[in-house]
Amino acid sequence: MNEKRTILVRYDEISLKGRNRKYFEKTLLKNIKRSLPTDKEIVYRVVRGRILIDLNQSVADEYQALLKKIPGIASYSVGISVEPDFEKMSALGIKWIEPFLEGRDKLNFCVRTRRSAKNFPNTSPEINFEVGSRIMAQLGPKGLVVNINESEFTLEIEIGTSETILFHNREAGLCGLPVGSSGNILCMLSGGIDSPVAAYLMACRGCRVHFIFFDNQPFLGRGGYEKVKKLAKIINRFQGRAKLFIVPFQDIQLSIRDHCKEENRIVLYRRMMYRIAEKIAKDQEMPGLVTGESLGQVASQTLENLAAVTCVTNMNILRPLIGMNKESIIKLARKIETYEVSIEPQPDCCSVFMPNNPSTRGKIHFLENDESKFPLEKLEEEALKNMETLKVDFL
Amino acid sequence: MIYLDNAATTLMDPQIISSHQEYMHDHFANSGAVYEIGLDAKNKIEEATESIRDSLGIPNTHNLVYTSGGTESNNLFIKGLCFPDKKTACLGLEHPSITETLRSFKVYENEPLSLLKYFKEGALDYSCLPLLKEKKIRLLCLSHINNELGAITDSISLVRHLEKEAPQTRLFLDGVQAIGKIKFGKSMWSGLAGFSLSAHKFHGPKGIGLLIYDSKLNLNSQMHGGKQQFGLRAGTLPVPLILSLADSIKLAVARQQETQNRLQELQNYFLQGLKKLNKPILLNSFSGDHPSTGIVNFSFPPVEGEVMLHHLEKEKIYVGLGSACSAHSKEPSKILTGIGLSSEQARCSIRVSFSRNNTVAEIDSFFSAFSENYDKLLPTFTKKAVNK
Repeated sequence: MNEKRTILVRYDEISLKGRNRKYFEKTLLKNIKRSLPTDKEIVYRVVRGRILIDLNQSVADEYQALLKKIPGIASYSVGISVEPDFEKMSALGIKWIEPFLEGRDKLNFCVRTRRSAKNFPNTSPEINFEVGSRIMAQLGPKGLVVNINESEFTLEIEIGTSETILFHNREAGLCGLPVGSSGNILCMLSGGIDSPVAAYLMACRGCRVHFIFFDNQPFLGRGGYEKVKKLAKIINRFQGRAKLFIVPFQDIQLSIRDHCKEENRIVLYRRMMYRIAEKIAKDQEMPGLVTGESLGQVASQTLENLAAVTCVTNMNILRPLIGMNKESIIKLARKIETYEVSIEPQPDCCSVFMPNNPSTRGKIHFLENDESKFPLEKLEEEALKNMETLKVDFL
Repeated sequence: MIYLDNAATTLMDPQIISSHQEYMHDHFANSGAVYEIGLDAKNKIEEATESIRDSLGIPNTHNLVYTSGGTESNNLFIKGLCFPDKKTACLGLEHPSITETLRSFKVYENEPLSLLKYFKEGALDYSCLPLLKEKKIRLLCLSHINNELGAITDSISLVRHLEKEAPQTRLFLDGVQAIGKIKFGKSMWSGLAGFSLSAHKFHGPKGIGLLIYDSKLNLNSQMHGGKQQFGLRAGTLPVPLILSLADSIKLAVARQQETQNRLQELQNYFLQGLKKLNKPILLNSFSGDHPSTGIVNFSFPPVEGEVMLHHLEKEKIYVGLGSACSAHSKEPSKILTGIGLSSEQARCSIRVSFSRNNTVAEIDSFFSAFSENYDKLLPTFTKKAVNK
């Protein structure tokens, strides 16, 4: 027979959310349900500021791993529901701890209780003592030692009004806020290391991140396009339901190259990207743009050039990496598994469009003067007309 | 689709696809197993080996080892014979599976001798032979047909000269581009130390290749395990792939003259077409009196080769590239810069390589697309940057 397990999900910042808490809880629950396979045997409950997921033991391991990718979860544990009886709780504790003692002289241990059912006759410290002493009586001679500060095995007991759950394995979650609770935003994805990390960080702040890619075909091959699709898929694992907008950018680059001052090219390209991204974001009711810019990382990311691109839009520009160094960004990229895709050698710009000495301090009036030399609005319109929209869930 | 990148790989022949499917169904057994179907599989491999020997005129002085393809064959032979300290030489214009394998000995202070300065008119100049003797070179590695330049090594003549002037130096040929294009006979193998080939370059399947080597040579195994293939290359033999390799070789050899005629026709037509374009084009590949290799490499600066490739790709015309345009990635082709092209000339090149399946009409379509795209792209590449 299939033994039942209960996954206990603890929230991260939702607990701070005062009167909006129900909304955040509901969003997180919806995200969890969407991430876990459809299974009639699963029962979801929201009790005492936690989400409980009852499921069969045979699928518990597989399903709990999926929780690791859901923003908004502080931690979770797979536990067993038991009767609120000290003997039964202790017996289960002994069954769990005994294998850990094998081959060791000593194991530090403690019991921690959280008692939300205030009608339970004992206080939390009393429960700790009752269960702990019973376990020690049996396993103390085998090397089990009570040590609250340096515990290597923590037996946790949650006593609620309807049930008591015992668990010992606290798995860390992604923390942050549940995706969707902060709304939709549009991330400019380049295929490099930084922008996927920026998208991930915003997903962890409760945003559903959609993506926009400026495509250089046919000056460059399809490689960049395929790479961005792969990156969008990886980030989408943390959220689902993202859209990817592919905007042909070659004609705009050609015009800028042919008509504008060489040193301003990069900033001019980026100003066009911001304008187009803003149009799409507004059309899709996304109140913000995300970029992977980090101050001073390249010529286009100096304070002056960031200001020169920001001023073309009145949208919220979110730059979660702005103060991070490359090493920390790479570390995060490895963690979220975008790094290996990002470093695939796909060029992001054909050398014919690159300036020899890009300006690090773009002056707005010079840039505006350059922009008066080509049909900016017409090209923008053309690019939007030929845009391709992909649903990342179906890639 | 117009596929003009046959030096990279070829379309599988329908006959080979059909028989390969049968082989996968009928000959699945492990050829090392002692029961009937295993023995049958073993017999089939022996028949295939005999067929390959017949097709290419390989005498019993040479062993055949099945590998996964050209790269493995080249690694197996070079490392098997020369690792770590035997002296080697090459032009430096060979495929990376030769040049990088030779360079991997660098950690043992054994770098290959470069003969690049002896590369004249598309061939190795024999005036290098005294140097090979003086430097006690054990193995000279060359491409039978160069994959970017189409240059052919006259191996029979070279082996005769080596025997006289540098007898301690043996010749190894990377032959992946040669099968089906040039004639093979018994005389080809006399004195040749080793030769590699790969089925997918002549309308066979991917994942199967062959190393043919002088049985007197002691090669060290690079893959340890079972005792298959003289203990030199352990691993269960892929029976269906081996049978299809033999079939592909047989077919390629049977059609060799016909293929050669076709390649000559296509290559000549293409070269004339290039001239007729009346554009500043630089021909990088070689096409002298020798048989046609179907490989044409040419530069058209200042338009970048990779940009041209992708513009042709939009019209479903596929060509090869010896270099890349990107601001961030690959270096220009070492082969092209090796023969003296500037890095711009090398970057601004493409390689067109034919198979027997190509037609003159396809070449016409290519030129029409090339010409149109060249004219469209030229202003972008010639227009000076605005700096005022």
